[in-house]
Parts: sequence; structure tokens; C-alpha cells
Amino acid sequence: MLKVFGFVRRHPDLTHDDYRAAHVGYHNSYGRRLNNIRGYVLNVRANAPITSTLGPLASRITRDEVQGFDDLWDGWGQLLFDSLETYLSAKTPAHDKAGPRGLEDDALVAAVGGDGPWLYAGSPFQFMVVEHVALPVRRPERKLFKLVQFATRQSGLPDELFRSYVCGRYAARLAQLPGLRGLVMNFRTPLDVMSRFFEPEAEGFTARGIAEREHFYGSWDCMTELWFDRADQFVDGRLAALSSTHLDSLELELFASVCYREVDETVVVLPNRAPAPDYYFR
Amino acid sequence: MVERLGENKVFKVFAFLKRNAELLTHDEYRAGHVGFHCCNSRRLKDIRGYSVNIWANAPLGPRLGALHDEIVVREPPGFLELWDGFPEVWFDSHRSWTEAGTPEPTRAMAGGLQVDPNWTLGDGPYLFDPLPDRPTEFRSYHLHMEEHIVVPVERPEHKLVKLVLFFRRNPVLGEDAFVQGVLNHYAPLTARIGGLYGCTLNFRDTDQEAAFRNYYPADAWAFSPEGYAMRRAFCALWDGAIELHVDSVGAFVAARSAPDLHPRLCAAERHLFAANWYVEVDENMIVMPNRGTSPSFYYR
Repeated sequence: MLKVFGFVRRHPDLTHDDYRAAHVGYHNSYGRRLNNIRGYVLNVRANAPITSTLGPLASRITRDEVQGFDDLWDGWGQLLFDSLETYLSAKTPAHDKAGPRGLEDDALVAAVGGDGPWLYAGSPFQFMVVEHVALPVRRPERKLFKLVQFATRQSGLPDELFRSYVCGRYAARLAQLPGLRGLVMNFRTPLDVMSRFFEPEAEGFTARGIAEREHFYGSWDCMTELWFDRADQFVDGRLAALSSTHLDSLELELFASVCYREVDETVVVLPNRAPAPDYYFR
Repeated sequence: MVERLGENKVFKVFAFLKRNAELLTHDEYRAGHVGFHCCNSRRLKDIRGYSVNIWANAPLGPRLGALHDEIVVREPPGFLELWDGFPEVWFDSHRSWTEAGTPEPTRAMAGGLQVDPNWTLGDGPYLFDPLPDRPTEFRSYHLHMEEHIVVPVERPEHKLVKLVLFFRRNPVLGEDAFVQGVLNHYAPLTARIGGLYGCTLNFRDTDQEAAFRNYYPADAWAFSPEGYAMRRAFCALWDGAIELHVDSVGAFVAARSAPDLHPRLCAAERHLFAANWYVEVDENMIVMPNRGTSPSFYYR
């Protein structure tokens, strides 16, 4: 499948909570109707700082976080499609509106609601990731604690080995954390998924837009999603792992920098990784 | 008692809806309901969970095989002609349900966060069973359900099969004996069916107007003689429904046929139910239910 992330910064007229309401509310309502979309999750940075959520553990497991990291994004969408072709053709009118002549096209879906200029500051930083599902997530009927780890590769470590070790030894260690409900590693790729998805005049294609995006990309190479029922499960499990040193030594070996954020996850379209039904389904 | 069973902590509504058959096929209705309609309804104020269940295109009976005749008893003829889909919605209270249509700012526009001026549920009469003399309304069976969690639902990232077991009370049992029998005997047995991703028991509120009251105006079709009559007739068919989430119909057939379980479930069904039958539905998840504390910010 094709998994695409789009990191966004809120429009300056919106507070962080205003942005939540507008992204989760109106924007996602159109985004979930993109043609042939197979999954759509929105992650909005939690209001509480990670140092408050994780306590003293936060500073013990964070190294060389990029300054001003939180100024670079407020949230990101995760889109799942069957292929690059279906992703690029998703922004077309949706034949999903009942009207006086039966089912009609809704052109507003092609613009994902058309609210981008007032929702975002600049273009999303949009890119494809290759994922490794170490522990498939099963979501209960309550809000989970979702933690995200951003890590950069040690410069002396070839990319192939980095991915292999993260998906292998490191994932196996992380998967032992008690209470873990899901574990997915995502590696950013250089594949261009912006050119035929956004208008040519979009801010993301200006010199400044490209520079900002590259600056953001410099802040991480692998992003790992972890789901727990509660934050204290991660804190307790990770503290226990500190004493065993395995995770610490692995992180020193693999990561030049590493930091964490809690996000509030909205399941806009529950990902369906099984073959698509031959009827409209979300 | 089954662990976790108890008083309903949410206001849950099933809304059985027949498509506008003059305008839409069943598959077109799917797209119209899950697409445009839910684009608006998922923004209902303070909604805590929302799924749309649409009966599956393939008939279930042949896939149940020999089990069909043992676990399906007196299915009402033409039951699926009465509806195409039923949304289920969760709210914190009857009051939040009746106030769900209150506009709230969810759209970024010039000047910041605004109420969406284009928000509408006006597609209803084109999507659902229309009323020629009431052009802004449609027929529906909105019913308040009293919910009991038998096995908490956990959804993986692949489409599950959802089976809904509709049942009608055996008239030889009083209401209380029936409810206690289903809660304390049948539900724990059902929970033992292997491979369940979730099992939710729902009793239809005997107050058939509970979901309509204060939600629709007093002069709405729901309160017309035809509205009452159709609701009475529909509710006479069933008293509750159990939602079962499984990997496949085949997996359900195998698990339901387990020799240590099958005879006991059948015996309980003969004792408790005058009728019991299954409908496979495709569950579209519109708002993932959050049964935990509501966050202090906009959340779906």
C-alpha cells in the first residue's frame, strides 16, 4: 500500500485548539471522502508538553532534539491508498451525494473542502513513508495514549542497516513494553508525492517552502508510533527498561537524535488493509 | 452477571433507514449515506461515537450452511425490505442527543474558526424513504437502545464481519425474567464464542418514542398516526439485538458450532426467544466510539 504523511502548521489566525476543531471537523469531513481512500488518521500534538506527560523520563530518553521542533508542525495526516496512482487521482469530485436526480458528484471533495488557505500556514510537508508494522494496532472504544518517537539515523550507519536494525532488534525490544497495543515504524522516503497532488503555485514549491520542508526533514528519519491505554504504562515500562540498558544502548547505537511527542489521534477512516470491497466503504 | 455488564452509561440510538428507492440502488445509498451525509453528521455536537451499518450484498443464509436452520428461527419475512442501513450513535445523555444539531464552529475561514455556513442534513429526503406530503422529512425508526458490553470491541486495521442477531422475547416470559435471562445466561454463553473481536448486547427501549422525543418537533412525521403505526409494527418484530464482530462468516460458523457451546446456546434461545435471526452488515466507522472521559477539546 501507499502510506503518505502530511505535516501541517496551523494558520496564524487559529489557536492550536481552533486548528484541531477545523482540521478534525470540516477538513476531515471532506478528506474522508477522497476517492478510494483506504485509511486516514489525523494526529494533533497534545496540549500538554511531553515533559509533563512523561515526567523525568522525558529528559532521560531525549537526545539532541531540534530547537523549535514544535514550531514546525501542529499535526499530521496519515493517508493510506492502494497505490501512487489511486492517491494522485483521489482529489476528484466524489460521486457520493444524494440529490433530486439520484446520486450526484460533489466537486468540493476535489478541493478537500477548499479550506486549506485558512487552515494551514503554507503547504503541508507531504511525503511517502515505508512502514514496518511490528505490532498491529487494535483500537478499543476509548481514546488511547499515542506516543510518537522521532529519531535521526547515526551518521556512520548505512541507511539499509539503520532500517534493518530498527525493524529488527529495536522493534523486538520495544514490543516487550507491557501494555503496548500497537507499534509501527515509518521511514521517510524521497519519493515526490507533492508535485501532482498540490497546485503548481502552492507555497511548498517556492524556494522558501522547499527550504522549510528540508529543515523539517532534517529533524528525523524514522518516526515510530506507539499506542498504550495510558501514559504511565509507557513510563513504567520504559523506566524498567532503563535499568536493563538494552533499549538505551540500542538507541545510542542507532539514533543521532531522538525525541517524543504525545498526539491525539482521530481515526478519520479506519484503515482497512484487507482487499477493498467492491462498493463504497469507509 | 457478566463482568462489565451493567447500567447503560450512554445514550445510544439505532436509526433504521430505508433508502429512497426511487432514486438510489442499495449501493448508491451506501455512497450517499457514508459519503456526503456522514460528512455533515459526523460533526453533530458532542457526538461520542458513530457507525453506519448497511446490510451486506451477499445473502447470509447459504454461508451459514447447516447451522442456519438451527440458529435462525421465525425470521420475519421481508425484514431487509424495511431498511437498508442503521446508523448507531452514542451521546452522553438524552439532552446532548437532542441538542446535537446545535451549530458549532468547525471550519477555518477568513477571520478564523467559524460555523460552517454550508453544513446541512438537507440531503435526507433524497437519501432516505421520502414523504411526498412532507418534502423536508423522511421515514425512519430512531430507537433508543439500552446497551450492555459483553466483550469490549477492539477493531483491527482490516474490515471485520459484523453479524447482528435480532431477537424477540418469548411471550411466556415476563419482561424482567426475559432481560435477566438474556443478561445473565445467554450473554455469558455468547461471550464464549471463539474469535470474537467484540460483542454488544442491546435491548430496545420499551419507550419507542425515547429517541424521537425533543429531537424532532411535535408535528413531525414521527408523531403522526402513520409514524406511530409503522414504528409499532417494526418494534413488534424484535426486542433486542446483539452485535458480533468476527473475522469471517466461516469463522463464526465454526466457533458457534463448538460442541460444548452449541447445544447450550440453542437451548437458551428456545427458552428466551420467540424469534431469532442474523443479519450481516458492513460497518462503516464514522466516529470511533470513545467511552472514556471526553477531552476538553474538539475530538472525534
